Amino acid sequence: MSIEKYLLRLYPRIWRARYEEELLAVLESCPLSFPDTIDMLLGALDAHLHPYLGAMGLSLYERMKQMLSLLRRSLLTMFCSSIGFMLAGVGFQKMNEYDDFTKAAQTITLVGLSFHLILIGAVVLFLAVLGAGLPIASAIIESALRQKRYGSVFLLAVPLLAFAVFLLTTLLLETILGPGNHLSPGWRLFLERGVFLGVLLAAAIAGTGALCFAVARSQISEELFRFALLLSIPATISMVLILLAIFVWGLSLRSSVPQLFSSNAGIFASSTAGTWLGIVIAMTITIVIAVVSLVRGLSARSALRSTAA
Amino acid sequence: MGMPNLGRFSDPSILILASLAGGTKHGYAIMEDIETFAGMRPGPGTLYGAIARLEEYGLIEPLPSEERRRPYRLTAVGITFLREQLSSLETFAAMGLRRLASI
Repeated sequence: MSIEKYLLRLYPRIWRARYEEELLAVLESCPLSFPDTIDMLLGALDAHLHPYLGAMGLSLYERMKQMLSLLRRSLLTMFCSSIGFMLAGVGFQKMNEYDDFTKAAQTITLVGLSFHLILIGAVVLFLAVLGAGLPIASAIIESALRQKRYGSVFLLAVPLLAFAVFLLTTLLLETILGPGNHLSPGWRLFLERGVFLGVLLAAAIAGTGALCFAVARSQISEELFRFALLLSIPATISMVLILLAIFVWGLSLRSSVPQLFSSNAGIFASSTAGTWLGIVIAMTITIVIAVVSLVRGLSARSALRSTAA
Repeated sequence: MGMPNLGRFSDPSILILASLAGGTKHGYAIMEDIETFAGMRPGPGTLYGAIARLEEYGLIEPLPSEERRRPYRLTAVGITFLREQLSSLETFAAMGLRRLASI
């Protein structure tokens, strides 16, 4: 396959259905230079951020259906990215449970201030996700009862079940790893880190996946999605705020308590700086995904509004 | 209808509209025409980003495809929009030239 076709594959499906053939004809007429390749990549990003482009040829019904589906997909992607963000945040919280960090937050103004900002941001994020999710969960239950498809109700229970499995595993690990165990260091490491992290990630993936599947297979009104999109704005802002605060927290810790920053007080006795950097990178990735999805969602919402008018 | 906001695509969009003011053209012909009269060639991604917006706002419309190439033409709204944009550019250019003359 030619590079032109690969580049066109990066464009959204609706856009390709409308413009792929003619753009390919243009590209066959002039050799693709490096600046043109960059231009095509930027064009693909632009088409993803403005998903209504190319939907002109669709019927009114099809256009509204596509935009509603896009709004739903954007919200689900934002939900998944916020869960990823929260997981990274849990890592940060676990690290801060160590006495040295608590002491640093109490004695160093900037460390303490940024830590409080993180807590405020976390509360706003949690409330925004909950506020957006609860009406949708209620609509899923209503839809399931009306259609007598009780599987969706079970899907809503999966996150609770996954959390229960995670808690049971943690209790089991505490018992096994408690005083008096005769495990070899290799087994200890495997159980302490491998099993714990594996179960945590599996529980998060199972819970998030089940909720996304439940939303995808239920009839949920456009109004609820619009409301959820509105709440995703403060959620995204709080994610950015938390990331900035964690960044400042790390820098101020590095300058105020360099011996703590360069020690191995991170998660599972790993490097503090490495843990901090890992958390910052993970949060940055999830924020980029959330912001792109938010722009796509807002774009789909505005297209839905103009189509309805 | 209010004037559409074409954002960062406003320059390529005006160039495309000006090109189509000379008659119907397909993508590659628009690209070549712009290169002739403006001395710059829009990249393929920029060109089709602008074409998609102009079509979305109803300023241009596609004609039936000729083989794989689809020609476009200005709509009545597109003609009005281009006229307004060029008139304001003309006013701006005249003011700039007047000020330059006094230097």
